Amino acid sequence: MSKRHSIVPPISQAGPKPPVQFSSSITIADSAVLTGSNPIVIHSESVVHPRARLESLGGRITIGRRCVVHERSTVGAVGTEGRVTENGVTLGDYVTVEVAASIEAGDTVIGDGTTVGVGAKVGRGAVVGKHCTLTPHTVVAAGEVIPDFTVIYSNGMRRMDKRGVVELKNKGQARQIEVLRRMIPSNPSKFQ
Amino acid sequence: MAPLTPYTFIQCPCSDPSTLASSRPADASSPTSISGQERDDDDGRTFDPRAPRSNYSLYPLEYLLYCEDCHQIRCPRCVSEEIVTYYCPNCLFEVPSSNLKSEGNRCTRSCFQCPICIGPLGVTSLEKPADANLLAAPDNAASPPSGPYILICSYCNWSSTEIGIQFDKPNSIHAQLAKMRNGGVTRLTAKERKEKRREAAAQSGTGVPPTAAPTTTGGDGQDLDVEAQFANLKHFYQGQLADANAAGASSLSSLGDLGFASPNSLSRIMSIYTGGSLHDKKAKTRVGTMREALDSDEGFKLADLDESGAIEKLHEEGYDGTVSSEQLSNQPPNVGEVQLHGRSRFASELRPIPYLLRTKRSKRCPICRHIISKPEAKVQTTRFRIRLVAGSYIPSIAIRPLPGGGPPPDTLQPLRPAQFLLTFKNPIFETVKVTLASPATTPGRFASKVTVLCPQFEIDANTDVWDEALNKDGDKERRRRKGEDSGSGPAGGGQAEAGKIWERGRNWVSIVVEVVPASLRPPTISFGKKEDTGPLREDEDVLEIPMFVRVEWEVDAGGDEVGSVPSKDKDKEAKEKRELAYWCVLGLGRVSQG
Ligand SMILES: [Zn+2]
Ligand SMILES: [Zn+2]
Ligand SMILES: [Zn+2]
Ligand SMILES: [Zn+2]
Repeated sequence: MSKRHSIVPPISQAGPKPPVQFSSSITIADSAVLTGSNPIVIHSESVVHPRARLESLGGRITIGRRCVVHERSTVGAVGTEGRVTENGVTLGDYVTVEVAASIEAGDTVIGDGTTVGVGAKVGRGAVVGKHCTLTPHTVVAAGEVIPDFTVIYSNGMRRMDKRGVVELKNKGQARQIEVLRRMIPSNPSKFQ
Repeated sequence: MAPLTPYTFIQCPCSDPSTLASSRPADASSPTSISGQERDDDDGRTFDPRAPRSNYSLYPLEYLLYCEDCHQIRCPRCVSEEIVTYYCPNCLFEVPSSNLKSEGNRCTRSCFQCPICIGPLGVTSLEKPADANLLAAPDNAASPPSGPYILICSYCNWSSTEIGIQFDKPNSIHAQLAKMRNGGVTRLTAKERKEKRREAAAQSGTGVPPTAAPTTTGGDGQDLDVEAQFANLKHFYQGQLADANAAGASSLSSLGDLGFASPNSLSRIMSIYTGGSLHDKKAKTRVGTMREALDSDEGFKLADLDESGAIEKLHEEGYDGTVSSEQLSNQPPNVGEVQLHGRSRFASELRPIPYLLRTKRSKRCPICRHIISKPEAKVQTTRFRIRLVAGSYIPSIAIRPLPGGGPPPDTLQPLRPAQFLLTFKNPIFETVKVTLASPATTPGRFASKVTVLCPQFEIDANTDVWDEALNKDGDKERRRRKGEDSGSGPAGGGQAEAGKIWERGRNWVSIVVEVVPASLRPPTISFGKKEDTGPLREDEDVLEIPMFVRVEWEVDAGGDEVGSVPSKDKDKEAKEKRELAYWCVLGLGRVSQG
């Protein structure tokens, strides 16, 4: 067995095909879903997993360098308000968006090195600082501003991350991306 | 409101003193010999599922066990448990019970929980911050990791560096942690403390308590932790007791001997905590009072009432720097910090939590003491050696609404008849006769009408699926019976008929129950009687039917096992009648309040 096939039927590419601007070094899976009418920009060495959704209907999506967007996560979900802003979602460098996490569009910013945990939700217009950790199933309310190095627990508790291992974490991320690039067949041309 | 999934709860006989008495071992040999009087009692009393008592006796079938010797249902409340093994849930190592006494009920290997979020902590080496060129060549990290090591929570990124703790070795973290206070200050273990004291005593040359302060406990006693203080106090009072013994030969009265400062009371109290090692036969001869501890070497410690430090810290770190009561309650006891005058209040004072040990337990029947559930002693296996679950002895009851048979409707309309299909599935290898009884109206304030259309029927044995296919006789038998009480279900026209079962299968029978839900309006006028006119209580809108189930079957007289397959060539006379009767509650759905 060289390839594993998913039994889930392929997601239809609904809606318009958004204009994209990809760095040549990114890895984007064939089955990732990019929709919307605003531009989607992905900077160097970032990885977009299969079945991740990038929706630019609510504004431009910018993904920084060495980010990892996991399966079934949604970046740029158009919230209940359906407002369109110029910058829908901006992810800094070294951001990880975990499985099934969802980031609403509307001038939402995720700072460098932040991890958005499994199933976490970031509301519209929230500004999450640098090197934060949103643990699984955390909810960040719309418009909230989270200071750098904050750890948010799903029960609402918060804590400052005082480890000072930014460099180390970035290194780990780089290593993970090395592996992912070998495992995820990239097909950026499909979206261009 | 969320729609209610129909449920069946079964009442364990232990909640009823009379049934418990009837299943004494003497009676157990012939379970059918329930005296007529008791039967009358049973008939005369309807079980009320809403009675406060019922909360404690109703269980889903899956929770119940069955004693094969008493032929009776047993619930988690009435079985007696015995601990088979203690083990750590993290590393799955078995802990001998002898170790529990000496080392406590926590894992003493390297298993820890995060003090902030109770996630599991892992040991990692604290690498030097990466150079810039490492990004270019990440492969040079292949060199073996070297210390120092830290504990880190992969869930919330808490690490032991936050409380200033690092380790030299990646293994036996528990032992290393025991020697360390938060901030990395070494902490004496009980053994070392004793040795220190002995050395000091040897230096001073006498047997009396040393006056020279040990190096670790400062003269002012400010860094005297709980354990050191206790050790000092204990030593001091032991010395005092010895003195009192030596001097106290002139005792006359024991009346003045009861104060806190008297050696007698003290030795009594200390013997409570130290397992009687201080108990002294000569206690009665002691007299008078002793002096109290005066300095830190004797365990004396001034209460630190100056909390300005804590207040300042609170200003600095804010609310996020403090601990929650939940985090505090998870902390292992006696971690050796200065906490006698107020427990740790800041997150920086928390300690990694060694995993609490878990147990595997076997369960015994409360009446005959036979084991009815026994797990495999090996921690890694989840199998059971013995497990007599009630589900393999008594029929299961599944409920679904009759028309359609799809998901249950959200609510039942009051005063409008509704039909439900009850499917009884026989788990044993004998044909069973089932008799149902339910009150005509449900107990409680809102009496709904209940009609069981077919209260008596037989369910075929739980034979092998293949046996059935190959055995033509059984098939004929089935057909014969079908002829005499053919189901009124899909095959028989689809109209529920009184006295007829709905449908029959290999080892199951379904019957129809008709209910007319009551109107949920509390009575507004009370007619002379004292009536409850209060508003609707929680879950009072759920339509629950109490139902008495009596199951009868025959087994080989010789074979004690209920579930054993009867041998074909045995005479019919060798059969023995068995019976099991119990109350159960069928929750059908919510009645609409419209
Ligand atoms: Zn019981
Ligand atoms: Zn362990
Ligand atoms: Zn944690
Ligand atoms: Zn028993």
